[in-house]
Amino acid sequence: MGILKNILTAVRGGASEVGESIVDANAVRILGQEIRDAEDAIGKAKQSLTGLKASEIKLKREINSLESDIGSYESKAVQALEAGNEALAVEVAERIAEIESEAAEKGAEHSALSAQVNKINSMIRQREKTIQKNGRELEKIKTVEQLQKATSSMSTNFAATNASEHRVSKALERVKKKQANWEDRMEAGEWMEGEASGDDLERKLKDAGIGANTSSGASSVLERLKKKSGQ
Amino acid sequence: MSLNELAFKLNAHLTAEDTRFDAVLAESGVLEVICSNNEEFPINIVKTDTQLLAITPLFNVNEVKPDKVNELNEELLLISPAIPLSSIGRQGDSYILFGAMALDTLFENIVHELEVQAENTVDVLQVIEPLLL
Repeated sequence: MGILKNILTAVRGGASEVGESIVDANAVRILGQEIRDAEDAIGKAKQSLTGLKASEIKLKREINSLESDIGSYESKAVQALEAGNEALAVEVAERIAEIESEAAEKGAEHSALSAQVNKINSMIRQREKTIQKNGRELEKIKTVEQLQKATSSMSTNFAATNASEHRVSKALERVKKKQANWEDRMEAGEWMEGEASGDDLERKLKDAGIGANTSSGASSVLERLKKKSGQ
Repeated sequence: MSLNELAFKLNAHLTAEDTRFDAVLAESGVLEVICSNNEEFPINIVKTDTQLLAITPLFNVNEVKPDKVNELNEELLLISPAIPLSSIGRQGDSYILFGAMALDTLFENIVHELEVQAENTVDVLQVIEPLLL
């Protein structure tokens, strides 16, 4: 069974203070010990695996060499037969049988070694799985411990402010007020920007002689007076 | 990144949404962060071997109207999936809003997570406020 069940029991039981054990300390020790054991076993297995693998490679090389000898003697036996030297062919055939027997022995040894190498590899994978699984279990415990640590300071504050009712409502109100202020400031900023760009546009229009009356000063007044006196 | 380093970077950072952070590493090893978009509910950051946990304690169970605890629990379960990046839980007697990040999370993503968590806190509390004392 996973550690989560133990965590739930501990938390239900009120182990919510920092320093209070989340789960039985023994369970944590066992998980840690299993991880260390698995790591040791993997270390040893890897060492013996190196030796076994070297033997396996050596045997394979010897088998290959014997097989090539068999091939070579076989062609020699055929040549002897073709030359009508039956006695020599028999001698070569006996030699071939010896080599084949040796190759078969080494082949069996090689198969046994390969099986052992596979077994050790699968054992290593199994141990690695144990390490990962126990690591995840320990991580759950650590997570709850850290959660307790992070929550405890605020819990103390909650307790201190319990006398004051509507703590959350009041805090929310302050947050909303601050956000409203911020929004007002943003709106004001946008208005200012709008004003500034509006002025700029008016100036550009005036420069281009568009919109507002561009004639000004004494000359325009004189012009107006001339028109009036002419009437 | 250590919590100390994170505190240093947070204190010097201003987000695109104009949020500032006030981060202090407490003696307990908890990094206390106040986001300017919600200064009333600080976020506490802690670290395990594999993750960064950002926790906002919301309220104590004794701040809930005694006959509304079940209703509150149900409402929190119902709204939890809709809250971006954060989850709701209970630690001892405290209700918490929390987010978890991998240790190699980029600083920009941590900042985003914190900013969103501060907003989520206000959203959640507004929903369940009628059930609190």
